[in-house]
This record gives sequence, structure tokens and C-alpha cells, in this order.
Amino acid sequence: MPSLSAPEIVVTGIGVASGLGHGKASLLDGLLAGRDVFSVLSRPGRQAPDGRTAFMGVEMPDPPDLLPKRVARTAGFGARVAISVLDEAWREAGLDDVDPTRIGLVVGGSNLFSREQLLAVRDYAGRLAFVPPRHGHVFMDSDVCGLCTASFAIRGFANTVGAASASGAVAVILAAEALRGGRVDACVALGALQDVSYVDLLGFRALGALGSERFDGQPGRACRPFDAAHDGFLFGESCAALVLRRAGEAGPGYGALIGAAQVADGQRGPEPSPEGQKRAIALALAEAGLGAADIDHVNAHATGTPKGDETERETLLAMGLEHAWVNATKSILGHGLAAAGAVELATLLLQMRGGRLHPIRNLENPPEPGLRWVIGGPQPHRIRHALKLSFGFGGIDTALVVRSPEGGNHGL
Amino acid sequence: MDRDSILAIVIGQVREVVPDLEAQPISGGDAMADLGINSIERSEIVMNTLEALGLDLPMVQTHGPRNLGELADLLHAKLKRT
Repeated sequence: MPSLSAPEIVVTGIGVASGLGHGKASLLDGLLAGRDVFSVLSRPGRQAPDGRTAFMGVEMPDPPDLLPKRVARTAGFGARVAISVLDEAWREAGLDDVDPTRIGLVVGGSNLFSREQLLAVRDYAGRLAFVPPRHGHVFMDSDVCGLCTASFAIRGFANTVGAASASGAVAVILAAEALRGGRVDACVALGALQDVSYVDLLGFRALGALGSERFDGQPGRACRPFDAAHDGFLFGESCAALVLRRAGEAGPGYGALIGAAQVADGQRGPEPSPEGQKRAIALALAEAGLGAADIDHVNAHATGTPKGDETERETLLAMGLEHAWVNATKSILGHGLAAAGAVELATLLLQMRGGRLHPIRNLENPPEPGLRWVIGGPQPHRIRHALKLSFGFGGIDTALVVRSPEGGNHGL
Repeated sequence: MDRDSILAIVIGQVREVVPDLEAQPISGGDAMADLGINSIERSEIVMNTLEALGLDLPMVQTHGPRNLGELADLLHAKLKRT
């Protein structure tokens, strides 16, 4: 049961960037339309120089120029995207009116700049005496913290947290804890852009996690969560910032985070764990004071790997969630890795406010017994209570339970 | 390369690393600190200039000059010795 004394945590500001563009409006429109933004990746450092790869996925347009040129030239791509999403969330949440020493920042993600590190190795080969001094701090993930706090009035605390593909969700959990514990009055959870290199992608492919052999050369068909022809995930650049507040100080916002859990399931590598997933869901539901029957929508982790999709489907069935509408945001945005949990929570909240659920792209042959898939087009649906699942390599399972502003009296 | 050409390279690097100074007149009598250039930017300007001159010097050997003109004098002297 929820603690009567624990303050309720709400999301009052959202900023997002993805292959659908920068900002919330283009994201929601693109999701509901099921827009196809997949292609062969073309950002420098994404394909092997010997031509042996044609990795597919999603890349975003350049972020708006918000930083002074002097700063922008020293900031990595992912750091500039972080500034863009933070700016959007910050303005919506009105954080200029909050004491800067009472604002915190948790950046979800680790090894965020590996593509740019690879390019630096290439560019400075043979001229190592001239590696620029800024490289000494921009290669660290904490440079996102530094750039964000130097650009916005955040003076409470700032740090990064790594939890593989659950990093964004874990950032949300830690931001909520910082608010419940009274450490700050507003906390930004930022799911950082994971700027992968072709070496990272080769590793994912060798691991058997990456699609797609079957739809090679057909980027729009290759990412297929839950479909019979799924064969792995496709990378997608994305990033999101969510501003969390205590409800009593900020109003209902987009919705309330009423249950959250993160567990370690004991797997070192990529193997999914049904036990870990079920335990995370059960703990989050218990904290929310809800049963499975109360959940009417699940935003699934749903990467498109056969083992991952199958395990998650079995988990949802075992937990009694067959009645809940299920969608899979990675079918449209690709897999944002570190960013995914935060980006997908943002999409869930936008759908909650908009009253429609986006479809799962490419789900042509769903498995049996099935769940209540959103297929074909947007599904009108008033979410009351939703579940967001995020899992990460290294045995990390998370579950978040969100209640709509009109969702009921649970937890009050 | 003469001293004034080296100074021109230094000033070009100042404008490259600190685009805010693009339109500002800069001469050999200006000190980087007085132009509002921070220590990391100063290092980058010196390093970029060394590379442009083909000079592989320990950075510590570039410490000491009080303005851009003195830096150009020092680099000019080093270049003559190589």
C-alpha cells in the first residue's frame, strides 16, 4: 500500500527529440500516424569504413541552435540534443520560478559519446600531440550534467546513472526519490541520447540482438516488435527530459507516478528474466496500491528481439494483463537504448493526455495467445492507469505505474 | 615564416575557438585573459597554432608570454631553432 505520508510525484514538463523531430507535437503526431522514419544510418561513424555494414535505424534532424556558438562547438551531438529537450521541458514546467538550489538533474545513460570517441581516434591518429584539451572533459557522460547546469539554473545536484536500456526509467525513479526525500523541489529526469558507433552496433549484431537480416534493405519493415518475423532491435536516436514535482506544489501535470520498481534479476548479459520482470511489475503495482485489473494500458519494452518479445508477452499474460491495450513505441522510434525508458514514458503521458494510443508498426502476425495489441491505426482510449516497462542488459528490470489526472482516487 | 605571419595565425585561432570575437579588432598587444578567453580555450588556441606551424612542443614551453605578440615572438624563436 502507498505510504500515506509520501508526497505524490507528478510530471509537469516534457521535452523530446526523436526521428520524428524535435518537440512534443511532432512526436505525438508521428506516433499516432505510425510514420516510417527508418533508413540506413548515415551519421559519420555509424557504418564500418570497409563497407561491410548497412546498419538500419532512425536518426533525428539536427537540434535547434540554443547554445552560443562558442559553447556549441565544444559540445557533443548528444549534449546539444539534451539542451534542446531540457529547454522544452524547463519552459513548460516554469522552472525559472523555482529556487535553483532546489532543482536537481538525473541523467540516465552511460558511455553516451562512443561514436564521437571513435571519430576522435580516427581524426587524431598520427597527430596525437594535438588532441584538444576539451577532450579531457567532453568524453565523460557527466559533461551532459555540466552543460545542462551551466546553461540552466540547476544548482541542487546533477549526476548520471547507468542502467543500460533501462537508464531513462531509472533516472525517473531516482528523480522521484529525490523529491520524496525532500532533497529538491523539482527534479529533471533526462534519458540521454546514446550515440552509438558502428563498433557498438557490430557488437549488438554479434550478440544476436540487432535486426535485421530478414528485411535487409527494407528499413521500414525491419523493426517488428511482437511480430512473427521479428529478428532483433533497430537503433533509434532519441532523448527526453521529464520534469518531476511534488503534486501539492505543482498541480496534476500530465499524470502521477504512483508506483515504481527496479530489480536485479541476476543475468549478466542480454538474457531476459521472466521472474525479474514479474517481480518488478508486482512491486510497482503494490506501491501503487493497484491490481493488474486496474491497468488499462501497457507501454511495453518490446525491442523486437524474438526472445525478449516472447518473454515479455508471457510475463504480461502471467501477470493478468491480457485486457490492457499494449503498444510498442520502439516500432516507430527504434531503440533509444539509454533514452528509451524516459522517451517512452513521455510518449505514454502524451497519449494519456491526448486520449489516443499509437499503433504498433509492422505487427502483421501477432503471437497467440495474444494481448490487446494496438494495430492498424490510433486507438481512442482514456488511460486511467498505465504500466511502463523497461529492461536493460545486465539483469535490470523496471516497472513504472502512472495514473492519469482523472484516473481515480488510488494512492490519495 | 616571419613573426607577423605567426601572429596572424594566433589571432585566426583566437577567432576560431572564440567565435564571439569574430568582429572584434585584435592585436599583438592583447592578452587572451583580457579578451575573456578561459584557460581551456587558451590551451586549445596554442595547441591549434602549434599544429598549424608544425611544432610539436610540450605545452609548458609555451607558458610565459603576457600577450599575443609575445606568444608570436616565442613561437617564432622556437620555429627558427627547428
